[in-house]
Amino acid sequence: MQYTQETVKTLSQCFLQTLATDSEPRKQAENFLKQAADQAGYGMVIMQIVCEPSVEEEVRQAAAVNFKNHIKFRWATPDSDVSSSVISIQDPEKEQIKGAIVKVMLSTPPKIQSQISEALAIMSQHDFPRKWQTLLPELVSSLSSATDYTTINGILQTANSIFKLFRYKFKSNELYIDLKYCLDGFCVPLLEIFQKTGLIVAANTAAPAILKPALICQRLCCRIFYSLNFQELPEFFEEHIADWMGEFHKYLTYTNPLLAENDPEKTSVVDDLKAAVCENINLYMEKNEEEFQAYLSQFATDVWGLLMTVSLNPGQDRLATTAIKFLTTVSKSVHHKLFADLATLTQICESIVIPNVRIREEDEELFEMNHVEYIRRDMEGSDLDTRRRMACELVKGLSSHYREQVTGMFNGYIQSMLQQYAANPAQNWKAKDCAIYLVVSLAPKQASSGAAGTDLVNFEQFFSSQIVPELREKDVNSNSLLKADALKFLTTFRTQVPKHLTLELMPQLIGFLVAESNVVHSYAALAIEKLLAIKDGKQTRYTSACLTPYLQPLFANLFGALKLPESQENAYVMRCIMRVLSIADIGPFAVQCLGELTKILAEVCKNPSNPSFNHYLFEAVAALLRNACEKDPGQVATFENLLFPVFQTVLENDVTEFAPYVFQIMAQLLETRRPPIPPTYLHIFPALLTPLLWQRQANVPGLVRLLQAYLQKAPQEINQGNQLTQVLGVFGKLVGSKNSDHQGFFILNTVVENLSFEALSPYMPEIWNVLFTRLQFRSTVKFTKSLIIFASLFGVKHGPQRVIETINSVQPELFTTILDKIWIPNLTFISGDIETKLCSVFATMLVAPLFQSSKEMLVGKLMNSVMTLLVKPEEERVEEDKDVPDMDEVAGYVAVYAQLHNAAKKEDDPLKDIKDPKEFVAKTLAGVSQQYRNLSAILQQGLEPANMTALGQFCGAYGVTLG
Amino acid sequence: MMNHGGDGPAATNLRRDPFKTSVGKGAGQRRRQAAITIGKDRRDSVVRAKRLRRADPADHGDGDAMQLAAVAADDDVAYKLLEDSTAAAVLNLKNIGKKATPKKVEALQTLRRLLSCSAYPPVHVAVQAGVVPLLVDCLGFGASEDQLFEAAWCLTNIASGDPEQTRAVEPALPLLILHLGEKNPARVVEQCAWALGNVAGEAEDLRDWLLRQGALSALARNLSSPIITLVRTAAWALSNLIKGPNSRAATELMKMDGIVDTLVRLVSNGDDELVVEVAWVLVYVTSMSDLHSSQLIHAGLLPPLVARLAVSHHQPLLTPVLRTIGNIVASDNSKCDAVLAAGQSLPGGINGALARILETEHRTLQKEAAWVVSNLAAGSILHKRAVFNGGAVSPLLYLLATSTFDVRKEAAYALGNLCVAPRDQGEEGKPILEHLNVLVDRGCLMGFIALVKSPDLESARLGLQFLELVMRALPDGKGPKLVEKLDGIAAMEELQFHANEELRIMSNMLIDQYFGEDYGLEEEFVSGDARTQYGPEYPPWRRGGLAA
Repeated sequence: MQYTQETVKTLSQCFLQTLATDSEPRKQAENFLKQAADQAGYGMVIMQIVCEPSVEEEVRQAAAVNFKNHIKFRWATPDSDVSSSVISIQDPEKEQIKGAIVKVMLSTPPKIQSQISEALAIMSQHDFPRKWQTLLPELVSSLSSATDYTTINGILQTANSIFKLFRYKFKSNELYIDLKYCLDGFCVPLLEIFQKTGLIVAANTAAPAILKPALICQRLCCRIFYSLNFQELPEFFEEHIADWMGEFHKYLTYTNPLLAENDPEKTSVVDDLKAAVCENINLYMEKNEEEFQAYLSQFATDVWGLLMTVSLNPGQDRLATTAIKFLTTVSKSVHHKLFADLATLTQICESIVIPNVRIREEDEELFEMNHVEYIRRDMEGSDLDTRRRMACELVKGLSSHYREQVTGMFNGYIQSMLQQYAANPAQNWKAKDCAIYLVVSLAPKQASSGAAGTDLVNFEQFFSSQIVPELREKDVNSNSLLKADALKFLTTFRTQVPKHLTLELMPQLIGFLVAESNVVHSYAALAIEKLLAIKDGKQTRYTSACLTPYLQPLFANLFGALKLPESQENAYVMRCIMRVLSIADIGPFAVQCLGELTKILAEVCKNPSNPSFNHYLFEAVAALLRNACEKDPGQVATFENLLFPVFQTVLENDVTEFAPYVFQIMAQLLETRRPPIPPTYLHIFPALLTPLLWQRQANVPGLVRLLQAYLQKAPQEINQGNQLTQVLGVFGKLVGSKNSDHQGFFILNTVVENLSFEALSPYMPEIWNVLFTRLQFRSTVKFTKSLIIFASLFGVKHGPQRVIETINSVQPELFTTILDKIWIPNLTFISGDIETKLCSVFATMLVAPLFQSSKEMLVGKLMNSVMTLLVKPEEERVEEDKDVPDMDEVAGYVAVYAQLHNAAKKEDDPLKDIKDPKEFVAKTLAGVSQQYRNLSAILQQGLEPANMTALGQFCGAYGVTLG
Repeated sequence: MMNHGGDGPAATNLRRDPFKTSVGKGAGQRRRQAAITIGKDRRDSVVRAKRLRRADPADHGDGDAMQLAAVAADDDVAYKLLEDSTAAAVLNLKNIGKKATPKKVEALQTLRRLLSCSAYPPVHVAVQAGVVPLLVDCLGFGASEDQLFEAAWCLTNIASGDPEQTRAVEPALPLLILHLGEKNPARVVEQCAWALGNVAGEAEDLRDWLLRQGALSALARNLSSPIITLVRTAAWALSNLIKGPNSRAATELMKMDGIVDTLVRLVSNGDDELVVEVAWVLVYVTSMSDLHSSQLIHAGLLPPLVARLAVSHHQPLLTPVLRTIGNIVASDNSKCDAVLAAGQSLPGGINGALARILETEHRTLQKEAAWVVSNLAAGSILHKRAVFNGGAVSPLLYLLATSTFDVRKEAAYALGNLCVAPRDQGEEGKPILEHLNVLVDRGCLMGFIALVKSPDLESARLGLQFLELVMRALPDGKGPKLVEKLDGIAAMEELQFHANEELRIMSNMLIDQYFGEDYGLEEEFVSGDARTQYGPEYPPWRRGGLAA
């Protein structure tokens, strides 16, 4: 593609159209651009449009975004052995783009610049530094000649993003070579610009317009400092440590009212810079304590002072958390004695910890307005950078050396908070919130094993005097925040609450399910769900009998909660439903629950939006189905009647997200049926073989499972309906790919298990052909293993002679070759108990036929593999599968397949009669040796000594001898 | 019906592959010092790569210069005077011309005094005044011993300056090398070696240049000299010359006839100060090739070297001795055997010697010693037992609990290695329960959890690996409970969104595996308990056996 007036005009037009509100022209333009992007030179042309001042601003912006995406998807060179539909940018054009992009980025307005800068960062991830030697020198020279801070900050922004990799890669020689290259090139200019800008900051205290970009520049310098120092302390930085620390100190103590933000939500440039400085000194404190030691007391004072003045505004959150983090690091370090003094400890706790732990108006607002986010932070651990969490981390840090003092102090604070609350509950409820928060957060993070408690307060006392009264309150809607706190407390320490007490509280918990507050009813659902999941040993603590008295209100309120505003798709509630349905003795409630769930299902089908809610919804259906039909298989018809219409909607309207679930549940239904199966199933069978369905990766596991269920329940119908060819077509397609070949074998194995040899035999040559072609051209360990397992299964079902004959019908003597070259060498890699038994048994069955066909020279090798398979532990013989999956099949957006645990499939043993393969081996060989007297000599020759000894032991154990 | 064929892709990809790095591969490994350094060379703080020669103890004629220097240190005016005197001395030397030996020696002496009287002598002035060509002239054939000595001294101090000053002496290098020959008086040879040592300490291209000019063998031959100071200086200069990163020089050195025996003899007989320099030669030699180590071991290096480790209190000596031993044990098990054997005649053996150093208050020594222990502990099961019973465990536990980050990290590697079976027995990642139990009982878990929270990626990984080991290996599901009690869940959760993919996947896996939600159905979905059916070493997710 060439840059001409004509192309500029056409493409500009296109970009304009991509902004259209109408979907038709927009799609058209997008398609046009997609095709144009395949042409060589497209990237360069777009970049030129981005820089063209005569083009309208919005077109240039759209072009910049397009350019970034172009780079993102087409810069990487795909692996040569993988065919990909995306045409990547060719090397000569890449060189052109690399040569031009820095200048483009520096000369464009901010909005465009950020896109180009991102594109540059993506390019650098692939090429920098080795394949892009000009980048760093170009940035450095631009930096030295730049005078205005738009340019300078653009360069630093870029440098910052390309150096970020040093923050997350493990040490390696290669990484260090790259790091050294960057250090050699950038250390000196970085310090220069940092110091130069420092002078500007100092000289312009009254000019915010100058100060702001200068301070942004300093922040970027600090972030680059962080990246370059992340792996270890480089020589240059150690030598100039005084320069850097001196500047850092200046900025930590810098104040300038002119730069303050009026909006409490916004972070000022100064605070941003201070936070970056805190991160840097924290890094040094963590890793380079010795070199940093000389500056420690100064910085401790600085940070201390800073925390005394920092406000509770959200705009200062980041500063507060990074500053607290620094003190936390010091408290855990060898210099913890800085805080040893009781007065210091007290001041830290009272002036820094407590104020930051107290609930703020913002948190209350979140509780009311955005319960999802509130729960995420309060309960799900997404609070890593909140003040509350960091303040608690500080307490834990202090406790590592001063546990007794700190515990004593906090016990005191908690008591006095509770007294405050008691004095005037309506006024001082925040004190109680803070107390509960501290008890929960300062305890070790709990898991269901409940190994950790709290040593901050007397648990029983606290629970009975503070938590139980909240839970027992009649009005579930009064002071919701404290209710949520109490529920969270119960959930956290659930294993320590005695069973009888929990059951006593159950009606209250059920009551909270319909509290108005979304947080409260979510927490109530969570609490019930977690309680029901507690296990004492292998048994759940709360059995179906415990639940029976509460089922009626429980179901009423659970489904009631799903009708409350903003909780129609509440995943906590749905998960609780799933849990109850899998434990409870649902009896009479089954139909009612099914009705409710089906209604919800029909509703969410229209617009699936909450994946985790939907997942639990299907889990709940599966749990209900399992629970109900296990006791009364007759109920399956009810399920079919209610569910099929919804399933039909899913399939007809192509609700891609749900199809994988639908197939799993249909399989579950079908598996519950006894043959003959109702005709409805057979009617929809042809539709399930439509190639379109199988093209979607996410459908495949569920469809395979469903297909297996059909083959199991209605093999004759399928065979008589002449649908076996199509089924085997599906098998052929799946087995052709490295990713799905095991799925293909699942189908094939089921076919072989459920059909007579007469029905199978016409297809066998073609089946072997497909398998051997794949074996010849694209074999993998996984494939070979699956092949051996299939052949063994076929053999134990239909006899060894059939295996030999059908394989040899493909090509004379092929069986011997396969056995010798493929089967025997790979036999020892088989894993899984059932599979190991199957393969060893069938291999032993081959011994007699081998003698009969005068192929006894293979017997020694074969039995040696069998013995290894049986004697050696799996982990010593099975190699890790190093096969690379086919990337082209994985790439691109696909709905995800999620396994439904409640619809889990049971594994079946095809050799139930044979309990012990070792016994089978010993007895079979003994039998053969009666007829073929040289067997013993052959085995002596062919078996490794250890295997021979083991075989002797087998024979001894089962009282047989080898001729 | 069954689904034969074992692991579906989901099982393989999600459950096993990303977790390849179990403790067996991480902790159970030997580690060499990084080949590329970006940090400051730690040797610098102990022994400077370039050395100035200050006053000659035999020389009492330094009067003026000494006085000048005494005030010059903190007085700009006096320093200006020193600079002026230096310029004048160079001019004086120039004016004397090519002949007139006695006067010339005197002029050289004056200059030399000016260049050695202060920690920061005015070499820049001398170089600017054109001193180098004059000094090259003084090194010519037929010059007197005094003249050669004084000129070489001047060059030594010039070469001890900034990089550009060091490079300024380049024209003198061929002659300096030439005067290293054994026919020359020892003090001249030593001074020339000193000057060359300074040049070699500067940069790799200069080292290459010196190598091409034959400096290596000329210096090395002087190791056999009976004069101790000369041997010391020659050894120091050699250590600078072979320090790499290219291994060519070290290899060339080791090919010289008799050098191996000479080095061993010096370690056996030399005084502390001499052994310091020789040991640095050994550090570089052993770091570059295992073959070198074998040669030295064969020649009997280890007994005298280990003996030094056991008794010396001289920190500058202990550093290179430790590092040499560390390099040797970073190689194969047979070399570890040799090191252990060499310590047998000592009370407490090598492990006792290492424990002694771990118990010093010296941080860099502790770190080096812990590194050596970690490499010994990465060896065979016998090595692990020897370390475990050898007295190093207590100090290591103490360091893990209390020390600074870099020492803690090394101690953690050592302790971690003690708990995993060797890799070469096909039992990768298999725990050594008798060690693990003891270490956990003595409270090491806390230290590893602290590492999980470290911003250092390798430390975080090591911490996670150890947690994995504890949760997997301790009997009766004790591991997860201990981890939970010590707030390990919170520590792992901090990594769940880490930018490093491996840490992210590992932490998510471990939390899922040991603390995750179960659906409460089949036994196989029960976290923790499920692993018992395969024996404690192989939790099902590692075999890809859990989910369908």
